Amino acid sequence: MSSREKILARIATNKPSLTVLPNVPIFEGDNSIERFKTVLESIGGRAIEIATKADCQAAIDTYYSDLKNVSSNIVNASIEINPETPKDILEQVDLAVIQGEIGVAENGTIWVPESNMLNRALPFITQHLVLVLDKNNIVANMHQAYQRLEDVGSYGVFIAGPSKTADIEQALVIGAHGARSMMVLIY
Amino acid sequence: MNHQNHPELAEAFNKDFERTTWHDETLWFVRQKRDKAVYPIPEFQDLRTLASEIKDHTLSNLDNYLLQFEENARKNGVHVHWAADATEHNQIVMDIIKKSRPVGAEERNIRLVKSKSMLTEECHLNAFLQKNNIDVVDTDLGERIIQFRDEPPSHIVMPAIHLKKEDVGETFHEHLGTTKGEKDPQVLTEAARQHLREKFVAADVALTGVNFAIAETGSFVVCTNEGNADLGVNLAKVHIACMGIEKIIPKLHHLSVYTRLLARSATGQPITSYTSHFTKPAEGKEMHIVIVDNGRTQQLGRADFRNSLKCIRCGACMNTCPVYRRSGGHSYDFTVPGPIGAILSPNIDLHKYSSLPFASTLCGSCTDVCPVKIDIHVQLYKWRQIVGNNNELSTSKKWGMKGLAKVLSMPKVYDLSGKLARGALRILPHGMTHNQSMNPWAKARELPDAPKQSFKEWYEDNRK
Repeated sequence: MSSREKILARIATNKPSLTVLPNVPIFEGDNSIERFKTVLESIGGRAIEIATKADCQAAIDTYYSDLKNVSSNIVNASIEINPETPKDILEQVDLAVIQGEIGVAENGTIWVPESNMLNRALPFITQHLVLVLDKNNIVANMHQAYQRLEDVGSYGVFIAGPSKTADIEQALVIGAHGARSMMVLIY
Repeated sequence: MNHQNHPELAEAFNKDFERTTWHDETLWFVRQKRDKAVYPIPEFQDLRTLASEIKDHTLSNLDNYLLQFEENARKNGVHVHWAADATEHNQIVMDIIKKSRPVGAEERNIRLVKSKSMLTEECHLNAFLQKNNIDVVDTDLGERIIQFRDEPPSHIVMPAIHLKKEDVGETFHEHLGTTKGEKDPQVLTEAARQHLREKFVAADVALTGVNFAIAETGSFVVCTNEGNADLGVNLAKVHIACMGIEKIIPKLHHLSVYTRLLARSATGQPITSYTSHFTKPAEGKEMHIVIVDNGRTQQLGRADFRNSLKCIRCGACMNTCPVYRRSGGHSYDFTVPGPIGAILSPNIDLHKYSSLPFASTLCGSCTDVCPVKIDIHVQLYKWRQIVGNNNELSTSKKWGMKGLAKVLSMPKVYDLSGKLARGALRILPHGMTHNQSMNPWAKARELPDAPKQSFKEWYEDNRK
């Protein structure tokens, strides 16, 4: 008997009698931009409201004029990134500006599917990350977010603020391995 | 197998009084952060109930959900492996790694980057791989610190919580060349970032744990704050994810319940920085899942203890436990310390871990904070009965219990003993009543003044 069969047989013998799977309600909650911004700021991120998506370029010019290697399919890019881009190029990215799909007001997180990432490693290897979000896509909580998602695709990540750690004496440090800063442009 | 002795190891930890107090306060601070994150959610108690019931249901149909998960993962192009125990798990992982040797790299060791996985700690994977000439780098900052120091983690969420920044500074000075005496967490974290970026870029294979595996889609979810799982996986050619059989949840939307509970319970964050959903490998890359039993099916068969398999590894029971906070994670000498470790470990080796169910005051705080409503303190109590019935009690406990049982079963003897003790406490010198080898209870405590009469005597005098 293979380990697979052994494990499955032991489970069949040892499992308790079947219990009911509960229904998970969607729950109510605040889905305002203000709530989303407050929570995002509390976890080390930053949110800026812009009038239209076309204003992303102006915002990047204002806040990130000092960064050289910008990768994006939304604003002007100085470094082209695609799924085949080698690691030594990916390593040079200072700023990535990509689309976020769903924002969650309760915890400041944003869903980013692989199709928006340009390269799976980009949102993590870039020194700074900007996500662009349609204000109509902010929901109150995770139940509503997964309800909208339907399909998670091949790979996708809920990103909540910059990379962080508190592994040394519980002191919060922003910029562990991933992005050192994270901004959301809400239009 | 050696007999592990929690009281002795805890006593060693308590020798440094200031550090013990600091450890206690630091973990209590995390518990308070948890409360601040939990109280504003009006439906938090409903979420705990849902999380518990979803897991109950999953365990009651676990074989079918594992099969469904396997089928969907295979459809997604993921390789699925099954391991009955730690040895088989380690061998499977090594075989995958050895097959992943890149062309033109015949002369060097294969390079593995790992994000946090308590399962691989449980299986002692690192030591096994290193013996077989594989370079293993733990990439979670806390895990990297303890890897440098050759220590096991002392907490499942904060592996280096037993260390002070001065200790980390010393370790990084030795291994990363930071300035001697440097202890600023910002500076030390930056040094680790630079060091580990090189490792991420150079890695051939990335290994991660699994927080949740979704039967309905064949996907699995990994939660980190640092982004180390995603960075490792997305730069390496091969991804290996190791999971215990109990990580399954039936449906994608069930993640909504657990993602609201996990980080709030663990560190008081509203959610982890990265909640990553892996379903299919990237074009030209490989993804493997190793599903591990290693004692879990046995625990599933123990009606009183199967509930422990619902654990989502948040660590809240450790942060709140007065014994864990003042004895440190290493005193448990088990991969998962604290209250949850004390109910998981006797299943693995009752003899070795027989002292752990006693590492508790049975105050029930662990049960109160558990996001999946495991009745931890009740299970601790039940394990004590089994430890006793299996003749695994320490000699002093055994004879103490026997003596007490005799006295309590004979009312006359009980009355007389009480009288003698009250008299003796008034007469005997402090040095004798508080003799620490005869009365360990008095190590850091003063006995109250002995009353003149027992409650029984008082009641008889005063009742009308």
